[in-house]
Amino acid sequence: MKNGSITTILAGCMGMALSAALFAAPALAADKTVKIGNVEPLSGPSASVGVQGKQAREMAIEEINAAGGIKSLGGAKLELVYADSKSDPTVGVTETERLINTEKVNLMTGCWNSAVTYPATQVAERYGIPFVVPVAVRDTITERGFKNVFRIAAKDSWWVRDQFRFLKDMQEETGVKLQKIAFVFENGDWGTGFAEKWRELAKKDGYEVVLDEPYPSTATDLTPVVTKLKAAKPDIVMLVSNAADAILLTNTMAEMQVKPKVVLASGGGHADPKFLENTDTNALGIFDEVEWNTDVNKPAAKPANEKFKKKYGYDLTGESVDAYVAMYVIADALERAASTEPAKIRDALAATNLTTGPGMVVSYDGVKFDETGQNKNAGIVIVQVANVDGKPDRVTVWPKAARRAGYVPAFPANK
Amino acid sequence: MTAVIQATLNGAMMGAMYGLTALGLTLIFGVMKVVNFAHGSLLMVGMFSAYWLIRLTGIHPYLALVIVPPVLFVFGYYLQDVVIKPVFKAEGQVREPLTVIIVTTGVWYVLDNLALMLFGAEYRTVRTAISNKSFALGEFIISIPKFSGFVVAVATAVGLALFMRKTKTGKALRATSLDREAANLMGINQYRIYNIAFGLGTAIAGIAGCVLIPFYYVYPSVGVVFDIRAFIIVVLGGLGSIPGALLGGLVIGLIESVFSQFMASTWTEAIIYAIFLIILFVKPSGFFGHKQDW
Repeated sequence: MKNGSITTILAGCMGMALSAALFAAPALAADKTVKIGNVEPLSGPSASVGVQGKQAREMAIEEINAAGGIKSLGGAKLELVYADSKSDPTVGVTETERLINTEKVNLMTGCWNSAVTYPATQVAERYGIPFVVPVAVRDTITERGFKNVFRIAAKDSWWVRDQFRFLKDMQEETGVKLQKIAFVFENGDWGTGFAEKWRELAKKDGYEVVLDEPYPSTATDLTPVVTKLKAAKPDIVMLVSNAADAILLTNTMAEMQVKPKVVLASGGGHADPKFLENTDTNALGIFDEVEWNTDVNKPAAKPANEKFKKKYGYDLTGESVDAYVAMYVIADALERAASTEPAKIRDALAATNLTTGPGMVVSYDGVKFDETGQNKNAGIVIVQVANVDGKPDRVTVWPKAARRAGYVPAFPANK
Repeated sequence: MTAVIQATLNGAMMGAMYGLTALGLTLIFGVMKVVNFAHGSLLMVGMFSAYWLIRLTGIHPYLALVIVPPVLFVFGYYLQDVVIKPVFKAEGQVREPLTVIIVTTGVWYVLDNLALMLFGAEYRTVRTAISNKSFALGEFIISIPKFSGFVVAVATAVGLALFMRKTKTGKALRATSLDREAANLMGINQYRIYNIAFGLGTAIAGIAGCVLIPFYYVYPSVGVVFDIRAFIIVVLGGLGSIPGALLGGLVIGLIESVFSQFMASTWTEAIIYAIFLIILFVKPSGFFGHKQDW
């Protein structure tokens, strides 16, 4: 009898709690939060970039929520729901399914690795959930006729496209005419892929290719390549190198007194933190293509980077900048959608034209998606290694709108 | 034509240094009949020693040449005495002691991983007084660190050959290399000679480290890159032959540099291996090796 009554009371309490949880909570949540599913590599080989992206997103979300959330949704707050992809496509797919079906997220973002993003966006497309891809550069991610996939960063083929745009712009700006071009690249997937597109664009822009030279990344000595380069007398040298060979090439070129008018690298080894340390003044004048640089001349960039550095102890990177911008793009779309319906969010995203606000820390002019969902404006930054306070450092020179204030690029670097 | 002559000059300088890295390997093989798989790691130890010495004290890189090799000699001497000798003894009178080869492989792994633990995987270069300096010879450019490396490599080979011919220890080394039992019977302490051979081989790796560091970078597995070259060179030149190592090195360096001028440099690697195979078929003992000399 006594036991029975306690059970009844307990059951009653639990019932009330349950019904409260079932009915009251979702009703509240729908008004107050927008759930964003986020698949990222938080462990495994790419964990460090995954964490960079996570931290940048959290900073953006904090700012957006502190500024009053989504006003058109009655001040709704943004909430990120994380899932770890471990850089594994299979895990990425199952986690995307889980976030959509179990967590009931309103939209998705992620996944950094192209290999994970490719199938994960396919899942989201099937459920009609909008997917904002900050950075995963494989071209085909936005080239499958999907309605719900939007990419902020530039795609693979645009890296090469921007290298040639840069060459053209700089020649126009300085009135210098460059004709002979040399390609030197590591003979892996990455280097040969770039070289293929270089040839195409060099032909289109009317350059004369005087050297087209792959080399093994493991070479002990790159003097033979540099000797060839010297004999070819190019105006422009385009490079794709890993860290060790970037160092060796730069130092050997200095030693053999090979001074092409323009040396243009493609990130990778030339963007490695160890590169400047090991080449020092030999690297002066080299142009390099990167996703972002700390000094891009955008009003929002400096405060954002300072805040981030203070919070996490290191500078924003290309990856984290794209993740940061993605949060502002999402907030902007939600504001205009005034709804948490995936279909309405999708339409708002498609109509995005974001050019101002604290999210605009990127080098380019804004975010506007084309019919495939690719950000039309997305671009890359070209930096030049220059003497800054007596030390070689990377200075943003292109696009011109993002150029470090007061810096005059040395173009050609060697007369 | 200019490019070809320039490439020949570069190839000769780089080739002499490849020869220098192979010299220690061929010496140890000649005396001990052991393929020293730790040779690349010893070169790495030599490079790191030179790196830290120059970096911390700021001395001229060629002053390191009188400090690093003796230190590495002692290191190699005791490495053989403490780690390799016991295995050698256990193998008894076997003509080609296989277990020792496995021990040297173990030494390779231990040294590489120790370096990884101590210094990390990053690339390090040290900027010295002669780094990236060059002088012009007519229209050709000669890199000072590489030219110095060439001189040091030739001097080391000549010095080692003289040592083997003129000194009593050198004669004992040669005697042991010809017939270890007979040498034993003549009162030569076989294991002491092994210590000296291993020490000398390590010291030469130290010399190579000193001449490479002004223009090359060092990292824990840097030895692997040079090791493969060194093995090919030793076989090309003749196992155990000092002039063979130098000549083998020159051949590899010249192929790499000159052939690159006429084709993509990725091809020269294949050509080096092809020539290596041809030599193995035509003259398995190499340029200076003797048929069945051990």
